Order: sequence, then structure tokens, then C-alpha cells
Amino acid sequence: MAIAVPHPPGGHIDTHSDHIHPAPRTFIGKYIFSLDAKVIGVQYMIAGLLFFCISGLLAEVVRIQLMRPEGGFVSNDTYNGVYTLHASGMIWMTIIPLVTGGFGNYVMPLMIGARDVAFPWLNLVSFWIFPPAGLMLFGSFLIGAPDAGWTEYPPVSVQGPPGTSLWCAAIFLIGISSTMTGLNFMVTIMKMRAPGMTFTRMPLFVWAQLATALLNMVATVALSAALAALFMERQFGVPFYDPGRGGSPILWQHMFWFYSHPAVYIMILPAFGFISEILPTFARKPIFGYKMIAFSSIAIALLGFTVWAHHMFTSGMAPWMQLPFMILTMIIAVPTGLKVFGWTATLWGGKIEYHPAMLFALGFIVVFTLGGVTGIFLSSVPVDLHWHGTYAVVAHIHYVLFGGSIFGVFAAVYYWWPKITGRMMSNKLGVLHFWLTFVSFNATFLPMHWLGLMGMPRRVAQYSDTTPLLINQFTIVNQFISISSFVLAASTLVLLYNMAHSLIAGKKAPPNPWNARTLEWQISSPPPYYNFKKIPAVLKNPYEFGEPLPYLGLDPSDKDDHHPSPTDHPTPAHA
Amino acid sequence: MAVSSLNSTHEAVHARYQEVDSLYRETRDIRLLGFVLFLVSDVVLFSMFIFAYLYLRNSVPNWPPINKDGVQLPRFDLAFACINSCVLFGSGATMHFAMESWKHLKKADFNLWMIATIVLGVMFLGGQAYEYNHVPLTWAGSTMGGSFFTLTGMHGFHVFIGVIYLITLFIQANRGVYTGSKYFGLTAGTLYWHFVDVIWVALFYLFYLL
Repeated sequence: MAIAVPHPPGGHIDTHSDHIHPAPRTFIGKYIFSLDAKVIGVQYMIAGLLFFCISGLLAEVVRIQLMRPEGGFVSNDTYNGVYTLHASGMIWMTIIPLVTGGFGNYVMPLMIGARDVAFPWLNLVSFWIFPPAGLMLFGSFLIGAPDAGWTEYPPVSVQGPPGTSLWCAAIFLIGISSTMTGLNFMVTIMKMRAPGMTFTRMPLFVWAQLATALLNMVATVALSAALAALFMERQFGVPFYDPGRGGSPILWQHMFWFYSHPAVYIMILPAFGFISEILPTFARKPIFGYKMIAFSSIAIALLGFTVWAHHMFTSGMAPWMQLPFMILTMIIAVPTGLKVFGWTATLWGGKIEYHPAMLFALGFIVVFTLGGVTGIFLSSVPVDLHWHGTYAVVAHIHYVLFGGSIFGVFAAVYYWWPKITGRMMSNKLGVLHFWLTFVSFNATFLPMHWLGLMGMPRRVAQYSDTTPLLINQFTIVNQFISISSFVLAASTLVLLYNMAHSLIAGKKAPPNPWNARTLEWQISSPPPYYNFKKIPAVLKNPYEFGEPLPYLGLDPSDKDDHHPSPTDHPTPAHA
Repeated sequence: MAVSSLNSTHEAVHARYQEVDSLYRETRDIRLLGFVLFLVSDVVLFSMFIFAYLYLRNSVPNWPPINKDGVQLPRFDLAFACINSCVLFGSGATMHFAMESWKHLKKADFNLWMIATIVLGVMFLGGQAYEYNHVPLTWAGSTMGGSFFTLTGMHGFHVFIGVIYLITLFIQANRGVYTGSKYFGLTAGTLYWHFVDVIWVALFYLFYLL
């Protein structure tokens, strides 16, 4: 940790430094092309919410199609595009931007006592790549949507409709954006922490963002390479993946999964971070095993690079690779299990307050653990050979991505909403939203396990219903799932209504409505432009409930003054 | 501190590097880490294409392979590549001398070494253009051509950007943007140029020697 170096008395302070910039005055500078990480975070959240709704509606199209064995709601070709863009939109345009660009940008600099991220201009560029990439992705419907699923396996994707190239370009762009955000966060966390905030005093959300930044910076580039090669093959005929011309489809699977397996940790690690902040606050107890939870994030990130081929057990890759990848995949459950153990132990004997954020955090632990258990099943080669490409995999991915990441995002929304908007949300509606979501979520995705075990393949527009066990079994289960999914979609309306109501008529939020102990709660809601008038010194990790706050030199007027006086010279966020 | 009173030893260079104000020091730290991480992510990009090349290479019994018309593809011309590689590695050396001259406040030497570096960089690009015109391969014709043109093309693009970067640094240095103690831009340029060199070592081995 760097030691504070005082400025030379009367010395000229250079305000052209990257991470200190004067407050913008124009509307465009303030809200559109803002350099402030908080504004950029909110921009990510708004765009992410928009793409969440679009991708969610595409999922409903899938469910309407599968209400009847013969389908018929949309044509089979359109259906292929619909599920491809549902997954692509949810993964790249919703979850990753929300958990890194959105909450990462808003909360992480506040938590480490910084005034902004390390490279605000890079941050601005990262964000503004994102909405055009999203429009390109969904715009591919206009010229023939990609139809090979979100994994776009060659040779189907090489011969796919023209929209596949647009898909490549869109995902390439969002990948570049993620890489830049990862780099930015990495430097911010390494170099810009408040004095005294050693690594083991960082909030766990910051640890999660550090691990995610590492993955974003390294793994996402691998995806960019794979996409660039696919684009070149499609547009210029350069042979990489087409076996007819010397290429190898398995090569794509290696390159794609070398990114896309770490990508599931890009999506889940920040959610682990949300949960690690919310549980101690609403259980009024120090987090159990701070170091264990912190270091397991890094362990997961590193191990995450060594397990990609467990997606490829049935691909025809070299058989000797199966055993090591199976064992490594099972090993990765150990650090994940340590986290779940730490969270559960945090709850033990706590004085639990059932706030909506806490409910979603508790729901997260339940459904994520269930998803993790099916993950262990899938990592085992013999089981995977049977489950591969069935609805069991669909069930598993939704348990960890919806039940994990999206539950985490919902928890984070309820937790940080007062900080971000300065308004309180309705708790009653929040509780309603939770129970509707939790019940309909399980009703939607739990039966998918049965479907998969009965042998229903994923990505089919029609299915034949001749199971010998019970007449119309596929149809009945599919209809049950579809109806549950409509309730699940409708439950999101409760959240949207709650948000709108809070913005229009919500109670004004105090600086620290939950009596939380991380730094962002020690300043006003919403925080002033410079975040902190004086950067505080940090004495301990923020989870010692019952002790005085471990911060020195917090300016008390930070809690009520939104505008630092112009004479109060901005000093570096760290020294 | 009167820097000019010290002689041009490494201690003086170090002292100048340290005498900056704390804000510049932090900014320099932040930018240095950011730039190094950028290079790391760039290494991953090259590594993935190198992985693809090796994977495709190992998936056929013989290399160079037979193309789709049944023609046996030749090996690359090692002699010419050696000359061109020496040009690029030489430019790495001249870049090093340019940076050292700047640190020791020898502005005239710096200018000479920078011009030498830029000229060598352009010569390398010219050599690569010559090779592209004479190699009996096409980008879309075979996996060998695809890997070769994609990887060396990416590298050549990096060299091209590097040449523009070095010209910009040269102009900025002569317009007084950098001083004897504040020269992060030059450090970054040097790092980038050496990075391009190191990538070429890998490509040279993989395409011409392996």
C-alpha cells in the first residue's frame, strides 16, 4: 500500500490528471458523454435493463412455440434466430454489462475510496461501444438472424445466414468493451485504493471485481480472436473451421470455450460479491471467513481457465483430455463450496432482516447451490455423455445464470437503489417481486431437468410426443413450464413498477438506510460528483459489526453536501 | 534539485525519474500498469491465433500441407526472413539507445536513434510487403496461408501503428512535451516497440524455423 505523500506546500496541483476532472456543466457532458464512473454505471444499467427486457421477450417466444408439439407460433428458421439471440442478448448484452459495467462502475470506486476509475475516457468509450453492439445484435434479425445457437458451432455458423457475420461483429465489439473495462478496473483496484486499504481490507465485492477484471482482460480477448477468425472465414473464405478446406470445427470449440467458460465466472463472481455485501449487512454479523471468500474468488478465476473442454466431452476431441478436464471441473466446486459455506455460516445466529435484497440473496444461495450440484453431475463424463445437448443443460445454465447472476442483480438493485437514486423503494412490492420470481423461477426451470432426462433435446422448434410412460408427457411438462415462464416474466413488471414508483413518489433516502459499513454508505445518497471531499484512511475490513466504523478523516459534510466547494482542490484519490 | 549539476550517470537518471511531483508519479504508475496490461491482453490475442495455427498444423500429417488443388505447398524463404528479422531486431536496439539517450539528456543522439528506428520500422514493413508479393500462398487458399497472413498481418499492423506512434513521439519530444524526468509517453512507446519485437521472435520461429 502506498504511503500518503503530502503535496509540496503552495505547489501547483496539476488538475489535468486522468482521474480528476472538473464537474461537467452541460446536459450532454453530465448525462450522455459523462466521464463520471457513477453516471456511466447508471448508463450501463439502463441499457442492460432494456436488453434484458428484449431478451426476456425472446425467451417468451420460445416458450409460446413449445406450448404445442408441432410448434407453429413462429417458423422454424425464426425460432432458431430467437433462441440464439435470447442467449446472446442475455449473456453479452445483459448480465456481463450489468454486473461489471453497471454495478462495477457505480459501486467499486466508491467502495475503495476513489474519485473515479483509473481511465475515465476509456470507460466512456467502453460504454458507448455497448448500445451500438446491442442494436447490431438484435438488428441481425433484419438480414437473417444467426441460427446456430449462442455457441455458433461451425460448420453450421460458417454457412449460416448473413446475420451471423453481424452477430460476430456485435459480440466482437462488446468483447472489446469488456476487455477495456476489465483493464480499467484492474488498474483502479491495484492503484487507487484509499490509504490504509490493504488487499485484505477491501470489501468482498471489490475482490470479486478484481477476479472478474482478470478474466475479462485475458479471456475475452480469446473470444475476440475466435470471432475474428469466424468473421474472416465467412466474409473472406479464410479456412479456419471448415473441415472441407483443412480447418477444424473443434478448433472453434476450443477457442470459444476458452473464453466462454471463464465467462460464466465473469457473470457469477460479481454476483458472489453482491451476496457477500448484502448478507452481513442484513444479518448484522461479520462475514464468516473473509479471507476464504476473498481468495476463493481468485482461485475460481484462475481455475476457470483450466476447465473449458468440459463443454466438449462429446465433440470428438482427444479422449485423454476428458479425465483431467473432468477432475479440474470438480475441483472448481471446492472454492465455490467454500463461499456457500461462508455465507451460510454468516447467517448462523445472525439477527436477520428480511429485506427484499436479503430475500434475493437467500434465494440466490438456494438456487445457485442447486445449479452447482447439477454442474457437478454435468462435469462427470459418463453423465455428460447422456445429458449433453438436452434440456437438463438448459435447466442447469438457467439455475446458475438466472438463479445466480440475475438473482444477484435483483438483490443488488434493491440494495444499492437508494444510494444510486436517493429514493427508497417499496419493501412490500419488493417482497412480492421476490416470491413471485422465486416460485415461478423454480416452476419454470426445475421441470426442465425432467424434460432433459426424458431425452428432450435443446434448440428444437417441434417435438414428437410419444413417450411410453405417460400420454402427452412432453406436452404437459412443456405447457407447465411455459405458463410458469409467463408468470416469471410478469413478475419483472412488479420490479419495473416499483422502480418507477420510487423515482416519482419514493421517500427520500438517508445516506445509510441499512446501517451498512462499506465506504459508499458513509456519504450522501446519491453521492456528490467527487465522491469524497477528503479521502478517508481505512483501518480494518468493513464487516466488523458492533465496532465503530474503521475510517479516519471522513468529512461529515459529505453526508449532506452534494457540491464540494470550488476552492476545495481535488487531491489524488490515493497517494 | 539542480539536475544539471549531476553528471549523466545512472544515479542521475534515477534521481530525475524520482524527482517528479506526487501527482505525476501516481499518474505515471497508473498509466504504466494500464499499458502493461494492454500489452498482456495483446499477447493473449496473438497467443490464440498461434494456438489456432499450431492446432491446424497438427491436424494434418505433413506440414507444409497440400492445398485444395492437390499442390504441395513449399516452405517459407528463410534467408529473406532472416534479413528482414535483423532489420526489426536492429530497430529494437536503436529504440533502446534512443530511450537511453533521452534519459541521459542527450537530445541530439535521441533524435538520431529515433530516426534510425523509424526508418528500420518502415524498411521492415517494406520487406514484409515484398514477401507478401512473392510467397506462393494466398490468404484464403489454405490453412497455411490463412494462418501466415493473419498472424504476420496482425503483427505488421502492429508495426505500422508503432511507426505512426514513434513519429508522433518524435514530434512531441521535439516540441518539448517531455522533459528529463517526465517522459512516460516515450517509455510506453519503447515498451510497445519491444513488444512488437518479441512477438516477431515467436512468429519467426513458428513459421520459418519450426
